[in-house]
Amino acid sequence: MPARLFVALVSLALVSLALAPSVWAAGGGGENNLFAGDLGNILWTLVIFGLVLFVLGKFAWGPILQNLQQRETFIHDALAKAKGDRDAAEAKLAEYEGILNEARAEATAIVEEGRRDAQVLRAKIEETARTEADKTLERAKREIDIATETAKKELYTVSGELATRIASKIVRRELADADHQRLIDESISEIQQLGTN
Amino acid sequence: MSATGNNPLSHVLPHPIETAQADLGLLTPQGEITLLSDQIVMMIVAGVLLMLVIPRAVRKRRKDPETGKFVLTGMGNAVEAICTYFRDEVARPALGPYTDRFIKYIWSAFFFVVTINLLGLLPLGTVTPAILGGLHIGGTATANIWVTATLALLTLFLMVFNGLRLGGVDYLKHFMPGPAFLAPLMIFLEVIGLISKTVALALRLFANMVAGHILLAVLISMILTAGQALGTGGGLVIAAIVVASSVAVSMLEIFVAFLQAFIFTYLTTLFIGMSVNVHHDHEEASAH
Repeated sequence: MPARLFVALVSLALVSLALAPSVWAAGGGGENNLFAGDLGNILWTLVIFGLVLFVLGKFAWGPILQNLQQRETFIHDALAKAKGDRDAAEAKLAEYEGILNEARAEATAIVEEGRRDAQVLRAKIEETARTEADKTLERAKREIDIATETAKKELYTVSGELATRIASKIVRRELADADHQRLIDESISEIQQLGTN
Repeated sequence: MSATGNNPLSHVLPHPIETAQADLGLLTPQGEITLLSDQIVMMIVAGVLLMLVIPRAVRKRRKDPETGKFVLTGMGNAVEAICTYFRDEVARPALGPYTDRFIKYIWSAFFFVVTINLLGLLPLGTVTPAILGGLHIGGTATANIWVTATLALLTLFLMVFNGLRLGGVDYLKHFMPGPAFLAPLMIFLEVIGLISKTVALALRLFANMVAGHILLAVLISMILTAGQALGTGGGLVIAAIVVASSVAVSMLEIFVAFLQAFIFTYLTTLFIGMSVNVHHDHEEASAH
């Protein structure tokens, strides 16, 4: 590699030297020479341009470049901050939406539970009421039956006595004890038959 | 036109004010060295104007509390707009990471060349000899090949110096991109390329500045020629046409003054970029 480097450097130098006169030769000529000029122009150009470069570089381009760089940084930072803020806001929004959804679900669950409890309670109350009513009805029926039975018994007894008394009055004769009893029994069974019919 | 006559070239040729005998070979083709000439005076004026006006202009900032310090006002804003354009659109694509290292030179080159170009448009050369007793002040310094060549050689220096400094071995290697046996030819061609870039840079600015001024001078000289040939009446008619077209050409010249300054700066940036980014090109090429 150093050999190639050396060849390159030497060739560069040689070619530059070979071409230099042809470039500078353009400067020669007569009075109306468009290429008129000399070292003076070169030196003045170097001095003035050098001064311009130095003074403007220090007092104009420096501040402008600094300004441009600061502005770039400022804009970059502002954009980055805006992006950060937006991301944070989006995250917050998502968080709040989650919370809201949770709350909504919870509310729905509470309402649902309330409805379910109410249904259960209603069913229970209905059941209790029905049972109670049935019991009451049953008891009433039983009481009615008992009362009916008692009334019937009382009716038979009274009817028997009445019949006996009426029959005694009608027949106007003393019946034998056996007849008497038989008559009463017969009357009772007749009345019972009538009662059942 | 007393001192210069009807020769249209006299408007673009340097008029030495002070010279000294000197024999430095190719550097003093006339056997003398110019100590001061009309073009050099204009170059000094341009330099002084730049050094006085621009630092003052870029100091003014808007009085907005938060972002005002970033915003230049008035002329400074215009200067900054030009600078920003060169930095973002010209320098950054060509120079990449080295943009801010060379940007001050690039800005200086543009403003220096454009100021000289514009000052050269002032028709001082026809007025000053009458006022200053034959002393010819005016002219375009960039219409002097020695001036443009100096600026172009500065570009060449920046190319080679920074190519070696930042690219090192890679910069030298790019002189022989092919196989080893082709190296002499490739090096020869690369060096020719380097020189032709510099010569083209110098000649382009020089030729464009000269051409416009010669065209204007030829147009104006037609008035006198026509006056001599056709009489006063004919001369006046030609004068009307010539003045109108001179105005048009002068407009074009203003545009060309900016355009050539831009092209000079743009190519300088491009050439420096080609030298300092050799390394990255190679890396990129090997990555593919």
